[in-house]
Amino acid sequence: MIELYAITDNPGPPLPGVAGLRLVPFDGLAAVCTPASEAEPSPETLWRHEDIVEALMADRDLLPVRYGTRLDDEAAVARALEGRRDALAAALDRVRGTVELSVRVMAASGTPAPSPPDPADATSGADYLRLKAEADASSDEAARVVGDPLAELARESESARPRPPELFRAAYLVERGAVDAFVAEVARLQVERRGLAILCTGPWPPYSFAAR
Amino acid sequence: MRDKLLHAPLELDPFARTVPRIDDALSRRVNADPESLERGLAQLVLTIVELLRQLMERQALRRIDAGGLTDEQEERLGQTFMELDQRMAELREEFGLTEEDLNLDLGPLGRLL
Repeated sequence: MIELYAITDNPGPPLPGVAGLRLVPFDGLAAVCTPASEAEPSPETLWRHEDIVEALMADRDLLPVRYGTRLDDEAAVARALEGRRDALAAALDRVRGTVELSVRVMAASGTPAPSPPDPADATSGADYLRLKAEADASSDEAARVVGDPLAELARESESARPRPPELFRAAYLVERGAVDAFVAEVARLQVERRGLAILCTGPWPPYSFAAR
Repeated sequence: MRDKLLHAPLELDPFARTVPRIDDALSRRVNADPESLERGLAQLVLTIVELLRQLMERQALRRIDAGGLTDEQEERLGQTFMELDQRMAELREEFGLTEEDLNLDLGPLGRLL
């Protein structure tokens, strides 16, 4: 059994010195894999997978492969990828030169801006609808004041459903050279919007923008 | 923790509390035993119900915005959605599903909810 980590251009820079990493080439692209580990899935093996993908990401463009993707042997990898060659090449072009940054927004505690109302606290039907409408409005506002200006600095953005009490959650596909400017804009928005708490993490492999 | 914070707000704890535990997700996803198959079916059915619930709720909010509903109608509508919301939460709990589990990835069409 072998385990897949990423799809990259071939030829590319030399593989990082991680035990057992090798390339399965196919028509201008390559899959990066290792012999599958015997270990049970665990947070440690998941982070190891992430470490390998990030080490690869340092000096090449790639499509990250979902953790735990395994195939019998290299011939099976080549067969699985052959029919999707053009789609994968297009997907790789989509993320070329970029990394993914993640942004999440909440209401800051201890500020005049109230936390988004929780419809679960409703005391009557009309109250429930009112709280629901207010919660939607707070989310829309966070998307407008934080999400929109950041989207201007990204090649693409993808918002996800916020997990309460979050107001906003999105992933941004940002040119490697524009990461500093993006983070500076986050810092500027944070100063401007004291009622919000903005969290920005990354750089991540382009999980939210890889081929489905 | 890994150095992935590019910009952290003054208080990080509230964010940390919303992160689901990785090992929970792993233990839920690994085995295809009969119990998790049943759970998969429940996930699919509840996803459809949740989609309809959200669509109707948004429609109701729009109608209220537009005016034209009596206070009594508004109260009845709100009561219905509030009970549906609670019932959905109970069902999710029963099958060990999170809100995020009820969000299907529809490939090129994006996420369902």
